[in-house]
Amino acid sequence: MDQRNFTYMFYGFAAAWLILALYVVSLVSRGRKLADQLETLKRTLSQEKG
Amino acid sequence: MFDKILFGVGAASGLYLVRNLYTMLMVLPDEAAQGMIYRIMFFHIPSWWTCFICFFIAGAASGYSIAKKNFRADSLAVAATEVGLAFTFVGLATGMIWAKIIWGIWWTWDARLTWAFITALTYAAYLMMRNMIPDPNERMRVSGALNVFSFASVVICYKAIDWWRTQHPGAVMSFRTGGGNIDPAMEGMTYQNLFAFLMLCLVLVTVRLRQEESLRTLEGMRRLAFTRQRIAVLG
Amino acid sequence: MLRMSWTIFLKDVRMEFRGKEALNASLAFALVVLILFSFAFDPTSEQIREITGGLLWILFAFSGVLLVNRSFVREQSNDCLDVLLVSKVPASSLLLGKTMANLVFILLVEAVCLPVFSVLYNISMFQLPLWLLGVCLLASWAIAILGTAFAAMTVNLRLRELMLPVMLYPMIIPALAAAMYLTNNIAAGKVPVGDDLIWVRLLVGFNVIFTTLSLGLIDTILVD
Repeated sequence: MDQRNFTYMFYGFAAAWLILALYVVSLVSRGRKLADQLETLKRTLSQEKG
Repeated sequence: MFDKILFGVGAASGLYLVRNLYTMLMVLPDEAAQGMIYRIMFFHIPSWWTCFICFFIAGAASGYSIAKKNFRADSLAVAATEVGLAFTFVGLATGMIWAKIIWGIWWTWDARLTWAFITALTYAAYLMMRNMIPDPNERMRVSGALNVFSFASVVICYKAIDWWRTQHPGAVMSFRTGGGNIDPAMEGMTYQNLFAFLMLCLVLVTVRLRQEESLRTLEGMRRLAFTRQRIAVLG
Repeated sequence: MLRMSWTIFLKDVRMEFRGKEALNASLAFALVVLILFSFAFDPTSEQIREITGGLLWILFAFSGVLLVNRSFVREQSNDCLDVLLVSKVPASSLLLGKTMANLVFILLVEAVCLPVFSVLYNISMFQLPLWLLGVCLLASWAIAILGTAFAAMTVNLRLRELMLPVMLYPMIIPALAAAMYLTNNIAAGKVPVGDDLIWVRLLVGFNVIFTTLSLGLIDTILVD
């Protein structure tokens, strides 16, 4: 019982951290993609102007 | 500069969580009835509170955004909803793992569990809906209204489902029971983790908010590029 | 405002009865599902009495969505919706009229399904006709008002047939749960008393809150 108790506590902690970490990773990757797109578009627009 | 502060607060919340982890595991004793597993509650309870706060902010921001036609409030609404949903999943996952030990099952159709499930579905539908509307103005109106609906329904649902028999443990924190149900050290730990979660939540919401704003800029620039192209072709 | 709602209501009912597209499709769907139920469990056993309410209201919620989905799509040909919005009719009258029309359609489906259900599964649904009517009216109004408001939200989406149920079902759970509970009692011939009345109150409260919210927000959803 105690061993299982400990394992599941570990699972619980891991799950909490993992979900938050995954969310942060997805947030960062989305942000990077967004910045890339913005950069490309800016360049295209300024080229057209020039 | 702002980026650095944001990063600093985020890193601080991470360190705080690690430090809390140390206190939880090394300093606090096992709980008499539940043994080690009770420590999951240090994540479970704060994550639910964080998610309530997020959804409340999202509802208020949505109301403001449709009343005042404010795009920033709309961005705040979607940021808070998304972060709130992440914390909802943390709450669900930790709760299920705790239940497996204490109740012997992963899931039961208890009032609060059902409510949590419905809430997650409702807000996931909101986020899906948002992605389907291309026009920013229409997106703000429709998804703003939907978020207000979601908040109302989630509140009603909470009351309604509470009338069913509940298996979920009642309140233990002293501000709801008047004290005596929880060891002060454990209660303090819960608050500390809540504080760390709220810091993290603040950072995440801010990051997501700025992403939504730059997404809006991007859409604006795309439209501009498209119009220019059309003018060039037609002219 | 109410007179305009009435006009919209008459227009929608007349349009639907001329073609009967949505109504026929929804009725056919409901009857097919009624037959499918007999394969899901032993149709002659007593156990079905305990799940009568659940079966019926899941059925009505599904066929109800088919009906409310049509109510704004109907206006899309020839840009009728835009014309309606720039006309003198306020958006709230439009919503109210369409909701009343949808309520009538849903009640019609229920009026056909309930006798068929009682005959096929040997459960007399009509021991307490007034209670049954009241529950049907209240719960159908809940489906109609929220369904119509959400149909207005999803009318411009490509995947509207998919998104409407995804949004609608989680939100009408309290109303459906109450209707299921009460219908179970009615099918067993028990008048809801005492603690059971809380479900009636829940239905009424749900309707009041969401009718107010929908009428208040419909301007934001459709106009501006």
